[in-house]
Amino acid sequence: MPHILIIDDDPDLLSVCRVGLAAFGHELHTAETGSDGLTEAAIRPPDVIVLDLGLPDLDGLEVCKRIRTWSQVPIIVLSAEGSEDRKVDALDAGADDYMTKPFGMRELNARLNVALRHRPADEGDSVEVVVGPLRVDLMHHEAMLDGHSLDLAPKEFEFLAYLARNVGKVCTRRMILENVWGPGYGKELHYLKVYAYRIRRKLDDEKGQLLQSDPSVGYRLAAPND
Amino acid sequence: MDWEEAPMRRSVIGTTVALATTAALAAAMLPVRSHLSVATPALVLVVPVVIGVVAGGFIAGIISVGAGFLVYDFFFIPPYHTLSVGAPENWVALGVYAVVMIPVSWVVANMNAAKAYARRQGHEIRELFELSHLLVKDKSLDVLLSTVVTSMAEVFAARQVALLLPDAGRLHVAAFAGEPLTDAQLRRIVPGTGGLVTLDTRPSDRDGLLVLALAAAARPVGLLVIAGGATTHLEREPLLLFANHIALAIERVQLRDDALRASVGEEAARLAKTLVTAVAHDLRAPLTSIKASSSTLADPELDISSETARRLATLIDVQTDRLAELVQNLLDMSRIQAGVLQPRYAVGSLSDLVSSVVDDLGSRRRGHVVRVEIPDELPPVDADLALIRRVLTNLLENAIRHSPKSTPIIVHAALCGEDCIEVSVTDHGPGVSPHRHSEIFQLFARRTDDAGAGLGLTIAKTFIEAHGQRIWVDDAAGGGAKFCFTLAVAAPLPEEVAFATHSHH
Repeated sequence: MPHILIIDDDPDLLSVCRVGLAAFGHELHTAETGSDGLTEAAIRPPDVIVLDLGLPDLDGLEVCKRIRTWSQVPIIVLSAEGSEDRKVDALDAGADDYMTKPFGMRELNARLNVALRHRPADEGDSVEVVVGPLRVDLMHHEAMLDGHSLDLAPKEFEFLAYLARNVGKVCTRRMILENVWGPGYGKELHYLKVYAYRIRRKLDDEKGQLLQSDPSVGYRLAAPND
Repeated sequence: MDWEEAPMRRSVIGTTVALATTAALAAAMLPVRSHLSVATPALVLVVPVVIGVVAGGFIAGIISVGAGFLVYDFFFIPPYHTLSVGAPENWVALGVYAVVMIPVSWVVANMNAAKAYARRQGHEIRELFELSHLLVKDKSLDVLLSTVVTSMAEVFAARQVALLLPDAGRLHVAAFAGEPLTDAQLRRIVPGTGGLVTLDTRPSDRDGLLVLALAAAARPVGLLVIAGGATTHLEREPLLLFANHIALAIERVQLRDDALRASVGEEAARLAKTLVTAVAHDLRAPLTSIKASSSTLADPELDISSETARRLATLIDVQTDRLAELVQNLLDMSRIQAGVLQPRYAVGSLSDLVSSVVDDLGSRRRGHVVRVEIPDELPPVDADLALIRRVLTNLLENAIRHSPKSTPIIVHAALCGEDCIEVSVTDHGPGVSPHRHSEIFQLFARRTDDAGAGLGLTIAKTFIEAHGQRIWVDDAAGGGAKFCFTLAVAAPLPEEVAFATHSHH
């Protein structure tokens, strides 16, 4: 049974999640403060952490950074503010995904499953990533859709490969620009829009179900049902 | 024209005085004229000319020169009692008199005119100064305009001065001095519907009425009407100066009003935005729990036991109460701020109120111990108990949220004077830094990373201040925050006072 840790200061929400996620087959541990959450995560390493950004003692962002110093466990941040900046900061600080309150239990379950499926393997970087009908061969710089090789320009492949290496994780626009274009980049947001459009056309994914995007946050490569 | 009457009368008076003086001096010299040299009467007859010029201006001067010339020739130049001039040197005397006296009258008259002009200008400048002083003093438009028309009536010695301003497309009299304009006059000034569009800023005479359009920044702002004044052509410049000043004053006041309205609107918009953000935040916490519970219950693929379903339903129930409470708080806060809701005062025991609030906290207490320190002998309070209950709830929830688990929260109350009780809620959290002591009660003044209810303290402040009482935050001894507020002691009944006094003896 996957072991989930939720760090949120609202005990009522924790009770609901405990009951609800048990029904979905998850085992839940909870913490009401950032420091309790850090302790809990260290004592009983969870498979996924759900972290509220508005905690009474520590900033959720700080909790996220501290966990990342010793663990690559997937982190889904909860943001009550709906403010894009906080989400982006959390993703830059190492979070994998985000959800805005209020959320349905099915949505939380779906996010947890994505995170669980794409948990980083212990043996390090894989050379091949399979996402639904897409297969990205990182070693031979090749992408295949339903077994057919895709004709991608070098930057298009690098964009796709970066998302594939972080499959399931929401990559902020800054992360993509810095890693694909180089350290000097960060503000050229229109590059991303243009390349995402071109890649989606080649992936036959005009609706963005495979190469998912949140216009103000970033991009994520995930199987269409995730 | 009306305003030419005054100079005419002045000339007549001046001429009369000059002629009378000439006659008197001539009569005085007649008996001794044989002993006088021919030049002496000429010198003496300078006096009436100067008097005439000073009193009556240049015209009166010329008339007195003529009179002096005739009197001199007729009575004092031999042969006497004829206009013929005998000796050639007498011609010289007479000629010099005429040649000198005409320029003298001219110079003296000009000097007088210049002096009068300077005096009037001084007066105008003083009035203009007063006017600009008024402008700077930021008076209301009404005061400003009535002062302006009054001083204009004074400066231009006008019978009527009126200022017409447009209001809803029509001109109406905004201020006047002297007699009010008659309907007939108004019709002459503003024929028909009286738009300002066709106005000309040059002064125009309309049947004895001087009408000036006031314009500021090429925009017509009003109409100035003067009747029965001493407005000669020379005075139109100062008149325009006044008109410009008024136009600027009107425009300035209108601009200031516009700016004020704009900034009030901006402030209201900013507050509304803050309120919306705060409300959205505070509503979202219970909504999140409700959504999570209801979505679990509603999921057809989940096999939920009846026990689980009941727990989720209970959670929804509790959260709905939380939402309802929040909405009630918000409504009451806005009603109090709008002045619609007044506290409904009742007498009650603070100790009972606090215990019931602590009991109702239930699961929201989160393992904190709430210690109540209220002396038994504390007199009852006079307050809206429902509102004070919510103040206490908000302060306690705030304390719970900001203090480490299982630290005690202390509710303390004590007399702070004869008719005042001070209540405090103390926690062991990080406390409130001194520079935030006052802003913490303001709408949505929360730590940026704090998920807590931003409205709680604002609501508490609104409710306490509606009672005419105070609320503030102190540093607790040994760290933490101490939120304090005052309440009024219920006035004892007269027989209790008598009893208390009696028992003291």
